[in-house]
Amino acid sequence: MMTGDHIVFIVDDDAPLREALGELLAAHGMRAAAFASAGDYIAADKPDVPACLILDVELPDINGLDLQGQMAESDHPPIIFLTGHGDIPSSVRAIKHGAADFLTKPCNDADLMAAITAAINHDRETRSQRAELDALRQRYRTLTPREREVLPLVVSGLLNKQAAAELGISEVTLQIHRRNVMQKMAAASLADLVRIAGQLEVPVTHSRRPGGSGA
Amino acid sequence: MTAVSNPLDETDCEAARALRIIESMPGFAWSADVAGQFTYVSPNTLAFLGNARDDLNTSGGEDEFGWRRFVHPDDYDRVAARWRHCLETGDHYDTEHRLRRADGVYRWFRNSGRPSRDGEGRITQWYGTTIDIEDQKQAEAALRDRERELSQLVDMVPSHLWRLTPEGRPIFFNRRMVEFLGMDVTDIDRPGMSRLEALVDTVVHPDDARAMKDALGRSLATGAHFAMRYRLRRADGVYHWMSSRAEPLRDHAGRIVQWYGLCHDIDDQMRAEEGLRDSERMLRQLVETLPALIYCAAPDGKPIYRSQQLREFLGFGLDEKDEAGRPRLASTLDAVIHPDDLAAVQERYGHSLATGEPYALKHRLRRFDGVYRWVETRAASMRNAEGAIVQWTGVCLDIDGEVRARQELQLAQQRLARASQAAGLAELSASIAHEVNQPLAAIVANSHACHRWLSAEPANIERAKLTAERIIRDANSAADVVSRIRALFRQSTEARTVTPFGGVIAETRELLADEVAQRRIRMDIDVAADLPPVMVDRVQIQQVLINLIRNGMEAMDGLATERVLRLRVRRADDTVRTEISDRGPGVDLPEKMFEAFFTTKEHGMGMGLAICRSIVESHDGRLWAERNDPCGATFIFTLPVRAGAAA
Repeated sequence: MMTGDHIVFIVDDDAPLREALGELLAAHGMRAAAFASAGDYIAADKPDVPACLILDVELPDINGLDLQGQMAESDHPPIIFLTGHGDIPSSVRAIKHGAADFLTKPCNDADLMAAITAAINHDRETRSQRAELDALRQRYRTLTPREREVLPLVVSGLLNKQAAAELGISEVTLQIHRRNVMQKMAAASLADLVRIAGQLEVPVTHSRRPGGSGA
Repeated sequence: MTAVSNPLDETDCEAARALRIIESMPGFAWSADVAGQFTYVSPNTLAFLGNARDDLNTSGGEDEFGWRRFVHPDDYDRVAARWRHCLETGDHYDTEHRLRRADGVYRWFRNSGRPSRDGEGRITQWYGTTIDIEDQKQAEAALRDRERELSQLVDMVPSHLWRLTPEGRPIFFNRRMVEFLGMDVTDIDRPGMSRLEALVDTVVHPDDARAMKDALGRSLATGAHFAMRYRLRRADGVYHWMSSRAEPLRDHAGRIVQWYGLCHDIDDQMRAEEGLRDSERMLRQLVETLPALIYCAAPDGKPIYRSQQLREFLGFGLDEKDEAGRPRLASTLDAVIHPDDLAAVQERYGHSLATGEPYALKHRLRRFDGVYRWVETRAASMRNAEGAIVQWTGVCLDIDGEVRARQELQLAQQRLARASQAAGLAELSASIAHEVNQPLAAIVANSHACHRWLSAEPANIERAKLTAERIIRDANSAADVVSRIRALFRQSTEARTVTPFGGVIAETRELLADEVAQRRIRMDIDVAADLPPVMVDRVQIQQVLINLIRNGMEAMDGLATERVLRLRVRRADDTVRTEISDRGPGVDLPEKMFEAFFTTKEHGMGMGLAICRSIVESHDGRLWAERNDPCGATFIFTLPVRAGAAA
C-alpha cells in the first residue's frame, strides 16, 4: 500500500518516545525523520515528497497548536497531534484548523498507522492537485494581456460578436485570440477551458445574456 | 335713796312689783343721783362685786366716784371721763369696760345710763343697766384674731392673690402682688378704659395680653375656671412667668359674687423647664438625627423606646407586635430578626440580659418593606447608684452595604482560591499524567515495533531485541516517575520544626473563620491543653487540616439540621491524635477515599485526601476515616510526638 516516496516527520521533546515512534514506523517499513523541537523541524531541509507530521502538543519551545497556526499560511503536511492528556477544547481547535487527527498517548498501533496512512494519502492528493494547478498557472502566464481579457468573456458564455463588441474589436480578431487562448491553455474544448478557468479562479465577469446561445 | 320700804298700800304694791321685775332681769340695774352717787344697785351687782352698796359711793382722793377699784385700770380713765361728761351735759352714757368680779376676774360689761328729768328739764336721777358682754367680747376678739390671721395669710403667702367683681373689676391685690407690681388696685385706673383693661395693658406682657384678655373674658362670661400662664411685669420692668388661676365664688342661688385669683411666680420653674426642654429637645434631635437606629429597653429587655428612624425602618410602633401572654421582646424579635439569625440573637441577648454584659451582634433586621438588611446591634446597660440595671440602651447601625461588599469579596476570594486550588490539582495531575504517559507511550510504541519485528518474515531478532531493551528502559523510567511523585511529599523534611500543635490549630481556624461563618457551620473545637509539641512542616499540616475541615464542611452543605464540625485534639500514647467529625452523609468506602481520583464530590480531581495521606505518612503519622454513629464521618490523623527525632 505504501510506496517508498513518502516521509513521516516526528516532533516530540521526549527522546525515548521519538525513538520508539521511529522504530515503530521502521517496523512498518516507513521512512521517518524525528525532531526534538518545532524550531528544529522548521529549520530542517525536508524532502519534497508526500508526508505527514506527528506533532506533540506540549512542546518545550512552542505549543503544537500554535505551531499549526503559524504554518497555516504555507503549504505543510497534514498534522497528527499527539497529546498526554487530550482535552476537548484543544482537540476541537486542532481539528478546526485542519489537523488530520488528534490522538492521546499512549496510542494504539493500528490507530496511529491508520492516521498516518490517511494523512499521507491526503497529502499525496493535495500535492498532485497543487502540481496540476502550478502547470495551469504556468500556461496562464504565457497569455498576452489581450488574451487574458478574452478568456473571462469567453468562459462567461458570451457570443463571439458580443465579446468582440465588449472589447471594441472585430469578431474575426476575437476569434484569433480565442483560438490562441485554447491552444496555450491546452484546452480540448470550451468546457475544458471553463474548468481550467475555474481552477485558476478566473472571475466570470459577464453572465450570458438572455436569448443568447453558447458558441 | 333706798329701795327698801314696806309695800302695804297700792302704790307700794306697784313699786314692789317693779322692783321684782328689775331685780329678776339679766344684767345689773342701777340708779344714781345727779352727782353720780348710786342711789340703787341691784343685789346681783353687789353679789358680783362682792361688796356693799355703800362702798360704791365711798369716794375720795383719786377715787372720784367710789368705784375705781372695780373697773379695770386700763378702762377706768376713759369710763370715769365719760361718766363725768354725761353728768355734766346729760348726754347718754354708753361705755364698755371690764369689771372685777369678787374672785378677781375681770369681765366685760356694757354700761348704759339715761337721765330722768323733771317738768323743767332738770335731771333728777340717772337710771342704767350693766350687761355682761364678756362672751360677746371674746367672740369678737377671736374673730378679729382670725381676721388678722387671714389677712396676714393673704399677705404672706408667696403668691399673688386678687379679687375681681363679677364684672371683672379688680378690687383687691394682696400685699405681695402690690409689692410685685409696685401699685395697688386703685393705682391702676386710667381714664377711658376699664380697670381690668388698664391692668392687662400695663402689666401683662404684650405677647400674652391678647390671649390673657380672651381667656379671662371667656371665664367671666361663662363662669368657667380660668387658668393660664403669662408674663407679668414686675415693678422694675422685668417680666416674670406666672401661673394664674381664678375661680368664681357663688352665692346660694348660684350667682357669682366674686372672682378669686391666685397668681404664682413660676419664672424660675419656667426657665428651668425651658432649659430642660432645650436640652431634651437637643438630646432628642441628637437621637433622632444620628444616622443610627436607637432603642431603649427595660431591664428585662422589653422595648420601651425606639427612635423615629428605627420606627420608620421597622414600620411599626412599640406595642403593635404585642401578643397576649407573650413578652414584647419575644414577639418583637420574632417579627424583626431574620429566621437564620434568631437563635443567635436570642441566645446572646438573653445572655446579656442575664449577666448585664454589653451586647454586640451582627444580624439581619427586617425592614418595613420585608427586606432584611444587615445591621450591627450594640446595647449596654444603664445602672443606678446601687448598681442595679435600670435600662438598656441600644444602637443599630445599618451595615448592609459593608457586609454585602465583604461577602462579595469573600465569595470572590473563595472562587479565586478554588480556581487556583483546582488549577493546582489540574496542573499536578496533568504533570503526573504527562510524566507517566511519556514512558508509557514509548513502551507501547516499542512493544508494537517489537511485535512487528518478530512477526516479520523473516523475523528481525536484532531489532526486536533492541526494542525490548528499550521497553525495559522506559518501564523503569515510568517507575521512577512514580517514585518521584511520591517523593514530592517527602522532600520537605527540612521545613519541619518543633511546633506547638495548638497554635497550628488556632491558625487554621483563623484561616477558615470566614468560610466557616459563610457556610453557617458551628465549629466545636476541643484542644487538650497539655499537648506536647510536634515536629511538623507547619504549612503542610495546615494544608491537611484545611483539606479535612473543608471536606467536612462540604459534606454538610446540603444539611438542613444544625451543621456542627467537631475538631478534637488529644494526646494518645506517643502521638497527637486529631479527629475531625462532620454530620454529613458519611462514607461508604473509608479506605478507597484516599486513592487519588476517587471522589464523591461533583467537582475536584479527588487528589486532596490522597495528598493529605501522603503528607501525614511522610510525617510518620497515619490518616484514616471512620463512620460516625448515627451519621457523618470522622477523619483521624496522628502525628508522632517525636516525629523529628525519629526521622
